[in-house]
Amino acid sequence: MLYSSPLGSAEAALQFHSFDAGYVASLCAGDRRTQDHFVGYFTELLQVKLRSRLQSLHAIEDVRQETFARVLTVLRKDGGLRQPERLGAFVNTVCNHVLFEQYRSSSRSESLDAEGRPELPALGADALDIVVARQIKDKVREILLDLAPRDRSLLKAVFLDERDRDEVCREFGVDRQYLRVLLHRAKQEFKAEYVKRIGNQVPLAANA
Amino acid sequence: MAAERYLLDELTPDAREAFEEHLFDCPECALDLRAGAAFVDEAKAQLPEIMATLPAAARAPTGRPKVKRNHWLAWWRPAFAAPAFAALLIVLGYQNLVTFPTLRTAANQPRLVPLAPLHGATRGASHLAVTADRKHGVALPVNLPLEPGIANYISYSIDLYDPQGRLAWTGVVAAPGEVARGDQPLSLVIPGAMLRNGAYSVAVSGVAPHGERTVIERYVFDLLLTD
Repeated sequence: MLYSSPLGSAEAALQFHSFDAGYVASLCAGDRRTQDHFVGYFTELLQVKLRSRLQSLHAIEDVRQETFARVLTVLRKDGGLRQPERLGAFVNTVCNHVLFEQYRSSSRSESLDAEGRPELPALGADALDIVVARQIKDKVREILLDLAPRDRSLLKAVFLDERDRDEVCREFGVDRQYLRVLLHRAKQEFKAEYVKRIGNQVPLAANA
Repeated sequence: MAAERYLLDELTPDAREAFEEHLFDCPECALDLRAGAAFVDEAKAQLPEIMATLPAAARAPTGRPKVKRNHWLAWWRPAFAAPAFAALLIVLGYQNLVTFPTLRTAANQPRLVPLAPLHGATRGASHLAVTADRKHGVALPVNLPLEPGIANYISYSIDLYDPQGRLAWTGVVAAPGEVARGDQPLSLVIPGAMLRNGAYSVAVSGVAPHGERTVIERYVFDLLLTD
């Protein structure tokens, strides 16, 4: 196993390092903690990947669940992966296939739900998750309030108003690199808090 | 900056695919992107409230900064004003203790100025070398021709041209009375500060009653500064 024992009081919190044969074997065997980690870890990545390709949250959720279901089915059927350290790449490949099917089926309004698929563990928010979420929220607010008013407006125009990047840059008299650096700095400052609060632990608040 | 480009949707489809393939395999990059995405998501949730509650000034300019600052007032800040006043005091002190006494002495006391032999051989287009120094300058004899038969001028204009051919100075003297006969000598004193190495010329023009000017004499000389 390449993940450690539970950290502190959060029983389900695992310090993740990398995937290996033991991890995949536990996943195939239906180990609850490994499944929790697997779902939590890849949920965030899949959501980031899918939201730029799919408009509806429902479709994103469909693809995410279908991806997990197919990965677990294949793993259990074939008894693991020949290259367990490539589990992440495998999840991505399966997701691409599911996404392609989603594109094709969206016009026919077919559901991707199917019976007989492995049931994924449901993750709910507990008191600790709520506290962590509050701290994350406070940190982001602190970073936003520390920004220059113009930079704050810039982020709003790009991410909230979703305006054309070039047009926004022209209007604010900055270039694309300025925007990248602005986001990079904010992200780096936030990342310290993020790692401290969540880091590579299983994101328990993820919707599964 | 790959994560930032990804979050800003700046990657080409191929680059995006390649980055995602790496992302799912690399926990470090995955963590980086997750942090960035979490920040963006939370920022999107909080920005409307923050922008609404902040005072208008802090809420921001939606474009280039439009606040025009008066940069002249910035010079009155202590950081600029104190050294500026100190420098001003030094200049005033130097002027009062050194420059003004020197000028006063020069104005109130006799001084010797070398007289260049400009007359005679230098008339017309012939050149004469005149040496001078910047401290004393040079004095040039200029004659006003008043022989009988010359037109009746009411005044004379003396024009000094520098080595670049530009008019450096002009002086006007009234014509002598009817009783005057022969050339009237004048001294044209050129201070050292005006002098440059090169060919100067002095033109003497007679000004007729109706304003017409006629050049009646021209002196040309090569000035050589000794300091």
